[in-house]
Amino acid sequence: MANQVVELDDNGVETGKTGIDNAMSYHELNAMINLWDTEGKMQLEKDKLAVRKYFLDHVNQNTVFFHSLKERLDYLVENEYYEKEILDQYRFEFIEELEKLAYSKKFRFDAFMGAYKFYTGYALKTFDGERYLERFEDRVVMVALALAEGKEDIAISMVEEIISGRFQPATPTFLNCGKKQRGEFVSCFLLRIEDNMESISRGINSALQLSKRGGGVALNLSNVREYGAPIKKIEGQSSGIIPVMKLLEDSFSYANQLGARQGAGAVYLNAHHPDILRFLDTKRENADEKTRIKTLSIGVVVPDITMHLAKDNEDMYLFSPYDVEKVYGVPFGDISVTEKYQEMVDDPRIKKQKIKARTLFERIAELQFESGYPYVMYEDTVNRANPIQGRINMSNLCSEILQVNTPTTYNADLSYDQIGKDISCNLGSLNIAMAMDGPDLEKTIETSIRALTAVSDQSDIVSVRSISDGNHKSHAIGLGQMNLHGYLAREHIHYGSEEALDFTNIYFYTVVYNAIKASNKIAIERGTTFDNFENSTYASGEYFEKYTTQVWEPATEKVKELFAKSGAKIPTQDDWKKLKKSVMEHGIYNQNLQAVPPTGSISYINNSTSSIHPIASRIEIRKEGKLGRVYYPAPFLSEDTWDYYDDAYDVGPDKIIDTYAVATQHVDQGLSLTLFFKDTATTRDVNRAQILAWRKGIKTIYYIRIRQQALSGTEVDSCVSCML
Amino acid sequence: MRKLHALEIRDIIMDKLKLISRPVNWNKIEDPIDLDVWNRLTSNFWLPEKVPISNDIQSWETLRPHEKKLTMHVFTGLTMLDTIQGTIGAAALLPDARTQHEEAVITNIAFMESVHAKSYSSVFSTLCSTADIDEAFRWSEDNPHLQKKAEIVLGYYNGDDPLKRKVASTLLESFLFYSGFYLPMYWSSRAKLTNTADLIRLIIRDEAIHGYYIGYKYQLALAEESAARQEEMKSYTYDLLLELYENEVKYTADLYDEMGLTADVKKFLHYNGNKALMNLGYDALFPKDECDVNPAILSALSPNADENHDFFSGSGSSYVIGKHESTTDDDWDF
Repeated sequence: MANQVVELDDNGVETGKTGIDNAMSYHELNAMINLWDTEGKMQLEKDKLAVRKYFLDHVNQNTVFFHSLKERLDYLVENEYYEKEILDQYRFEFIEELEKLAYSKKFRFDAFMGAYKFYTGYALKTFDGERYLERFEDRVVMVALALAEGKEDIAISMVEEIISGRFQPATPTFLNCGKKQRGEFVSCFLLRIEDNMESISRGINSALQLSKRGGGVALNLSNVREYGAPIKKIEGQSSGIIPVMKLLEDSFSYANQLGARQGAGAVYLNAHHPDILRFLDTKRENADEKTRIKTLSIGVVVPDITMHLAKDNEDMYLFSPYDVEKVYGVPFGDISVTEKYQEMVDDPRIKKQKIKARTLFERIAELQFESGYPYVMYEDTVNRANPIQGRINMSNLCSEILQVNTPTTYNADLSYDQIGKDISCNLGSLNIAMAMDGPDLEKTIETSIRALTAVSDQSDIVSVRSISDGNHKSHAIGLGQMNLHGYLAREHIHYGSEEALDFTNIYFYTVVYNAIKASNKIAIERGTTFDNFENSTYASGEYFEKYTTQVWEPATEKVKELFAKSGAKIPTQDDWKKLKKSVMEHGIYNQNLQAVPPTGSISYINNSTSSIHPIASRIEIRKEGKLGRVYYPAPFLSEDTWDYYDDAYDVGPDKIIDTYAVATQHVDQGLSLTLFFKDTATTRDVNRAQILAWRKGIKTIYYIRIRQQALSGTEVDSCVSCML
Repeated sequence: MRKLHALEIRDIIMDKLKLISRPVNWNKIEDPIDLDVWNRLTSNFWLPEKVPISNDIQSWETLRPHEKKLTMHVFTGLTMLDTIQGTIGAAALLPDARTQHEEAVITNIAFMESVHAKSYSSVFSTLCSTADIDEAFRWSEDNPHLQKKAEIVLGYYNGDDPLKRKVASTLLESFLFYSGFYLPMYWSSRAKLTNTADLIRLIIRDEAIHGYYIGYKYQLALAEESAARQEEMKSYTYDLLLELYENEVKYTADLYDEMGLTADVKKFLHYNGNKALMNLGYDALFPKDECDVNPAILSALSPNADENHDFFSGSGSSYVIGKHESTTDDDWDF
């Protein structure tokens, strides 16, 4: 099939020769990268053709044309596509310059996946959904204008950082900024549920409200009394947590963000909750319809004591949250089970059941094979690393948000008695390869922290008061990272090797320093910190100990070279001492700074590998509601980098855990960690990985994924992903 | 009429089954492929409830009326084939099993075919109204090519030649399903009905193994026959494939002409026809350049599990039932 390259100008208008085989659609061209050509070679160039074809056949033909920027903006404001208030903060000439700057960068989508995803999911469309009103550059400018809040120099930095691919705001921010008809900028919410009907129904209400506005919602069920617990002292009355899960699941499938994406939710449960096995069994392949949970994600909160009981092959006791709350006066989730374990075992007022600790872990592993769930959060590891006063008892839909919360109480008429603190977090990620390419890593990080802070400042979820109150008090943000594997492959380093771990360590070390520094700068500018800063280990200086008493520098020549080449400055002990002093004096603005999300969609737009994972496959098959099947080649994939792109199943769980462990020590919240196994693995291999992760100080485990190879003799001929 | 047909076949099968009654000993494996396939089939076990088809309702509503109709017709066609294979086809292979383990595998195949048939129903009931479903089933009863397809295959299942039964079964598993499978793959490559496509991909994953296994057993049996008989079977196989193909082309045109996809589906038929022959140990019939299937469809077929998905999209077609192994004290040494 003779496909010729077509030259396009800046606006994607065709200038060179035609001749693309018209029989091939962009879908088909894209799918060809998953197949070998007749000589058994990769056909990566087909993906570039797919991008061109996509612009020619689809994007250009469906883009509304305007004669000038003025005409365009007037139209978009008048017809209520853009928010006038945002544009009004700036001189028109400035906006014109900013557009010019954005277009001067000659941005091109490297992969069909990126272009397709941007235009189907992010670009502003006419209300009938038929035509595009934005190109990538226009979206970037609008995001920068919205987040710079009228400050021209900051708007310029943001355009520079985003269009260069160094910083990429998370989907809700990148999708919604500047649009008049939009969802919220925030990706992620975490809600407590207390052991009473008011709180449960408020939880469901909030779940509906929040998923209507986009993003995922996680709820903590650990406090809710178990199956068969008494209600009004009458025994055997409660139906436990499963019906609550059912209600939540239905709520999430009902609400979606203007149809843009489905509501999604997760629930967490402490391993010592009496309903724990029932909770896990909701994900069984053959579970009864009444108890089966299909689309709600589940996570288990595992305290250290559970690990120790399993080590000694002992029974583990499960405690009635109803009784625990009566005895201690605080909800079950706010108690450290590790600390109180023996006390609770000995307390006759607390009803308990027992199961074999190892059975629980085996059950978890079985379920992970069948469904990928549950997520795991190592509660005590998380709380030991938490610089903020209070307790962390749950995580979120992607298991990277780890913040403290407090309960909300209600009056008899369902109004608020006392509004507690629930969690929201807005995210954005650096593309490690682009950030290292510079020119100025420190500035990249500062600009990113400012962009994320602006999102937090501009967010006000009035329908859920515990969320908006929590946000106003904490200004929590989560700076993430992606394209680690892409960067390593480009620099000819194997994932999980000594050099890779060395790089990851020093890179995250550099990021945490600059992130705290930026947040400190904002606190100084505004003369304010997050609420309760004074009781954090930042204020006491304790947080900085590991940086002021220990020297952190590259251990390998290769990594020294990489940083020298990049020009990124590695902070010294002295730098840390200065920063410590400034933080103890002025505080920091953001209660939380870093969280490394799994980066699905945005890593495609940004042409990155996801998060700090190894790639799932050199040619990834991606299935999403809005996209269908699309094929995505790893960034920088070529003959030259081929060998450095071992996929996650070949890399294996140990190296992934090592990589995350060195990063984790510099991240205040969590990192979404997926473990990949070949189908030769057993539940024991999964358990071993979980034990290793816990020992190495990993905070959370996200999905478990199992790869099954086609039985030999049943593969599709000439399919790249089958043969690799 | 056909119902009686099926019962008769069952009687024959039951008769033959009476003769063999020893316990199956899985500790003495005569053919390692039996165990391989058994393990694969059981770890692939799934039920339609696993796939959140209801997430496709929105997408279903975006299909135009003739596209909806086509989809339903395709699915009734598939339901019919799986019904035959589940209740009669796989069972008809039982008496010819070479090993007891093969019997066990075949009963598994039969059961999964029934799961498949039920899966189509769950797609229907989730997406369509009863009136539409009734119409679609009526269509399947009235479509001469679909009926003929069933008739041909049933005829050979009913016949008393075990080799011919295997050929018919392999062609059904590896060839006849695919005119139907094309459509959900086509939709999913265009971001429509992606959860339904997941379900179909699970079915394809199963059918690929079924076709391979029955074909393999056919080759074993064939190798023991005389040269003349081998020759006879070969020409019989090609004849049957051509007979089915001719009918299949008409059936395909009935379905896909309105969408303008017939030519593309035919290439897909060639591709899978060759694959069916390969499973039976024969050379390809259709020349390579008539088999250049639309890459979007071909890639979508891949039964491997290296698909990535997010939590908005259901669990995909990749999870398997795991092998249980207890941890030992060494594992917990910390």
